[in-house]
Amino acid sequence: MKLAFQLAYRNLMGAGLRTWLNVGVLSFAYVLIILLNGILDGWNEQARTDTIAWEFGQGQLRYDEYDPYDPFTILDGHAVLPAEKRDGLTPVLLRQGTIYPEGRMLSTLIKGIDANQTIITIPTAKLKESDAALPVVIGKRMAESANLKEGDEVLMRWRDKHGTYDAAKVTVAAVFDGNVSTVDNGQMWMDIEKLREITQLEQSATYYIASTDVPVKAEGWTYFSQDELLQDLTDMIEMKKYSSSIMYGMLLLIALLAIFDTQVLSIFRRQREIGTYISLGMTRWKVVTLFTFEGTMYSILATIVGSIYGIPLFIYLANTGMGMPELSQDMGVAIAERIYPVYSVGLIFSTVLLVVVSATIVSFLPARKIAKMNPVDALKGKMQ
Amino acid sequence: MSENIISLKNVVKKFPVGDGFFTALKGIDLEFEKGEFAGLIGPSGSGKTTLLNIMGSLDAPTEGQALVMGKDIATLSHKQSALLRNMHIGFVFQVYNLLPVYTVFENVEFSLLLQNHTAAERKKMVMDALEWVGIENQADKKPAKLSGGEGQRVAIARAMVKRPEIVLADEPTANLDAKNAHAILKTMKQLNKELGTTFVFSTHDEKVMGYLDRIISLEDGKVVKDEVVEAQYTV
Repeated sequence: MKLAFQLAYRNLMGAGLRTWLNVGVLSFAYVLIILLNGILDGWNEQARTDTIAWEFGQGQLRYDEYDPYDPFTILDGHAVLPAEKRDGLTPVLLRQGTIYPEGRMLSTLIKGIDANQTIITIPTAKLKESDAALPVVIGKRMAESANLKEGDEVLMRWRDKHGTYDAAKVTVAAVFDGNVSTVDNGQMWMDIEKLREITQLEQSATYYIASTDVPVKAEGWTYFSQDELLQDLTDMIEMKKYSSSIMYGMLLLIALLAIFDTQVLSIFRRQREIGTYISLGMTRWKVVTLFTFEGTMYSILATIVGSIYGIPLFIYLANTGMGMPELSQDMGVAIAERIYPVYSVGLIFSTVLLVVVSATIVSFLPARKIAKMNPVDALKGKMQ
Repeated sequence: MSENIISLKNVVKKFPVGDGFFTALKGIDLEFEKGEFAGLIGPSGSGKTTLLNIMGSLDAPTEGQALVMGKDIATLSHKQSALLRNMHIGFVFQVYNLLPVYTVFENVEFSLLLQNHTAAERKKMVMDALEWVGIENQADKKPAKLSGGEGQRVAIARAMVKRPEIVLADEPTANLDAKNAHAILKTMKQLNKELGTTFVFSTHDEKVMGYLDRIISLEDGKVVKDEVVEAQYTV
């Protein structure tokens, strides 16, 4: 085995440019696979952290009549949770409304939240600090689409529990800058007590945000753990990984085709050499092993070459991050302006293993032919 | 008493051609003793190389028995056959068959890598072999940088480095000019004398014949003459 590796190394070094071209292509595949997976993992980690911090907390207790994917359930999707069940929970009440910035009409989701809460990062303390009659905090996306800024007033219309329309001016107490568009786009956050007051929905809440991951049981309410809440995000990133894997597969396929092609040509061109190895005392399977290891050696050299230019690139990007286009901020999932790739040991090892095993297999396939070679014909270079 | 290291009994070799067979060897009976400097001569297609390949365990007879170092070639597995070649048989080819990406040293060292020698032992054995053939100062060169004569010397060093009992040389001088051919043959004759290695040539080169102690003439796959001769050239 050691000898086959030594000889494979010598053969590859002796082959010069041909070797380095294959190694270059393969190392590029390596670096790109690790980098793109690192970006997805970085995005995943950032999105999970941000979504937990800005929206989900440690879990949510949701009223059964409310379906976050169905806006028609907002109207009646609220109830009063028994007081003894509310420990460690922050209530959120959802109502639909309309605002009229600069004469335009914008549908908005009014979210009432306990102004004293500290579970999620929404700056609800600003609601307490404001002297306005109806202070609200909004995200930067909402501020941009409604052309609002801190201190601005805007007319807001809503319906109370009887369906009667009412309207008043709300004041923007703060504009927050977060990565989670699902707490920002088309939404206004206000003190839940004030929202309950203007809608006459005393004690009501649509869902509660938990400060600890302790499932709460209450009739008509369902507790969703952090993992369950993040399932959509996880599924989306998994789907993105699958679709990206097609690209990795194609990239790897090109690199492996180059190795396969080199090996087929090599075996045809190096028949005399194969015959010489056998005449010098190598068994045919040892020659097969030698040629297979030459393919494996491509992947090992590609690992080394890829490390030389890949590691500095990975470190640089992990520190400075990669800027994301502005449009991606409104995709409905948490995407930061910069994503910092995360390279796990598992990702690196699995990529190295994938490339080494694939390169070994594509080298072995044509090399098997050697086992059937007649050494006399090989020495004469007569094999077809 | 002299020792037979190659013994061929009624060796027949047939090659499939189309729907039938071509018989390259038709019942060869030959024996070679240790230390012989013998040659197989004859026109192209007479079966010289086929016979050499069987003696080198690169091929097996279709019928008959070929015993090399007491081992029946036809019954050897690939592994046993490889071991026989590695330990006891050296090959010298017409086109040298040097491994192009290796240096002279590495080419000669190759057989030793398949045996279990230490690096120090290998280095000494390789340098000794290069010294025998007079190219010890070319050890770091690649084959492409060598002349034809030098290339064949490397091939001889590679065949001799493991001190085999048998060296089989297939037209070793065919690609060399007269001066280089004589130099190569003298080297081989010298090694034959000093180390007692058995040399069997396949040739139709007159110069080679001048060095041989035994000439076996083949024609149409049969031995037509087998005679011990007085070598024209000595060392």
